[in-house]
Amino acid sequence: MPGPQTMPQPQGIAISDEDFARFQEFFYRKTGISFDAKKRYFVDKRLVDRVEALKLRDFREYFTHLRFQVSGEEVQTLINAMTVNETYFYREEYQFRCLVQSILPELVRRKAAGERLRIWSIPCSTGEEPYSLALYLLEHWEHVDRFDIEIVASDIDTKVLEAARQGRYGERALQYLPQATRRRFFTRVAEDAYQIIDDLRSSIEFTTVNLNDPLQTRRHRDFDVVFCRNLLIYFDDLSRRQAADTIFDALQPGGFCCLGHSESMSRISPLFRVRRFPDAIVYQKPDRGEEP
Amino acid sequence: MPLVKKPTLPAPEPVPDDSFPDDWDLPARLAAPAASVRRAAVRALAETGGGDAARTLCGRLAVETDGPVREAIFLALAAIGGDEVAAGLLALLRHEDPALRNGAIETLQQLPQPVAPRMEALLADPDSDVRIFAVNVAGNLRHPDVERWMLSVLRGDRHANVVAAAIDTLAEVGTEAACADLEQVAQHFPGDAFLAFAQRTALRRIRGG
Repeated sequence: MPGPQTMPQPQGIAISDEDFARFQEFFYRKTGISFDAKKRYFVDKRLVDRVEALKLRDFREYFTHLRFQVSGEEVQTLINAMTVNETYFYREEYQFRCLVQSILPELVRRKAAGERLRIWSIPCSTGEEPYSLALYLLEHWEHVDRFDIEIVASDIDTKVLEAARQGRYGERALQYLPQATRRRFFTRVAEDAYQIIDDLRSSIEFTTVNLNDPLQTRRHRDFDVVFCRNLLIYFDDLSRRQAADTIFDALQPGGFCCLGHSESMSRISPLFRVRRFPDAIVYQKPDRGEEP
Repeated sequence: MPLVKKPTLPAPEPVPDDSFPDDWDLPARLAAPAASVRRAAVRALAETGGGDAARTLCGRLAVETDGPVREAIFLALAAIGGDEVAAGLLALLRHEDPALRNGAIETLQQLPQPVAPRMEALLADPDSDVRIFAVNVAGNLRHPDVERWMLSVLRGDRHANVVAAAIDTLAEVGTEAACADLEQVAQHFPGDAFLAFAQRTALRRIRGG
C-alpha cells in the first residue's frame, strides 16, 4: 500500500494527500462535486494556480482564506476554475432519455390530448439545451404530436440569447448528434457552421431571466419540467436555496426539475421529492397535499 | 412542423400575476388556509414589512407546519438578517421539530455578523443539544473566530458528543494552533474509542499526514 504522497508543483507549492482530502471534503460539501484520485493533477494544478494568484504562502493559507472569506468570492472563483463550461447538443443525453421514457409518461397520464406541456430550460446559454430538448422529443417521443409542447429558454446573458436565437453552430457542438438528425434539422452554411432550421428556431421562446430576480421569474410559471443544469453550483448556499425556491414556484404541482450530474437538490433545499428513474435522478415538486 | 409549439408568455411589463394589492393585510394572509397564499404573503412581508417583518415572520415560523411556507420564511429571514432574526432563529434550536431546527441552523449559518456575538453564550448553554447545534452553526459560519470557539469547547466542555462535533469541525478548519488542545482532549474521555479516532483523524488532517 503506497504511503502518503505529496504532489510536486512548480515554485515549490505542494498539496499533500491530507490537504487534498481536506479540500475534497470541503468542495464536495459546497458543490456536490467529488474529485477522485484520477483528477488529482487537475485539482492540484488549479489549487496551486489560486495560491499563486493570491500571492499566498501555501495551501494551508489558501484553504483558510477559502473557508473564511466573508464574501465567499474565492469559493466562486475556484468553482469556475474547477468546472468546465462546455455545452453541446445532447449533453448528458441520459436526462433527455429519462424525460422521454419516465418523466413525460408520468406527466401525460393526467393530461388530455391537445393539452399544453411546458418545459423551461434555464440557463439556456447559446441554445444547445433547448434545441436538444426539441430535437430529442421530435426524434424519440412517440406522443410528440398529441400535446402542445412549449419550450421556454432563458438566460441572464443577452448576448448568448441572441446567439441562441440565431441558431448557428460549429461542428464541435454537433458532434454527438446522429447524422440523420443533423440532416433533418440543420443546414450547412459554411466550412464549420450549421444553421438550425427556421421551424425549430421559431418554436422556442427565448427570454432574459435572472433566476434570483423575483420580478423576472414571476412571468415564468406553470411548467411541467424545468431543466436547470450546471447553474446552481456557481451560486453560494443562500442563492442556491433561493433559486430552488424559484424553481419550485415555476413548476406545476407534480412537475419535475432536472439538475446537472454533479448537483443534488437534496443538499440544497427540502422542497422537492427525490425521484430515482432508471436513467437519472430528478426532483419532483410534491402534488397538492403531498409531503416532499 | 413545427411540432413544438411556440409558447405565449405574458407581456413583459404589466403587473405580475402574484403581486400584492396595497390593502392586503399581510400578517392575516400569513395565516391563510392556502399554503400558496401564505408563501406569497411571506415574500410580500419581507419586501414591504419594514421593521416588524422579522418579528412577524419568526412568530409565524414557530406555528407554521407547511414545508414550502417554512422554506419561504427561512429565505426571507436570511435576506432580512440582523439581530432580531438571529435571536428568533436561535430560539428555534430548542424546538422539538427537527426540520424546523435544521432550517434554523442552515439559515443561521448564513448570518455570521449577528450570530458571532452570541456564539460564546450558546456554547455555554446548559442544554448539550443546544451546544451541539451551536457547533453545527459555527462549523459552516464564515467567521475568523470559528477555530477559537471550537478550541473553547475542547478545553471546557465535558459532553462527549459536543466535543466530538467540535473535533469534526476542527478537522476541516483547524490550524496548527489547534493541535495542542486536540492532543489533550482524549484524556478527558478515557475509553471513548470514537472520540480518540476523531482526534487522530483531525490531527492527521491538520498536520498533513
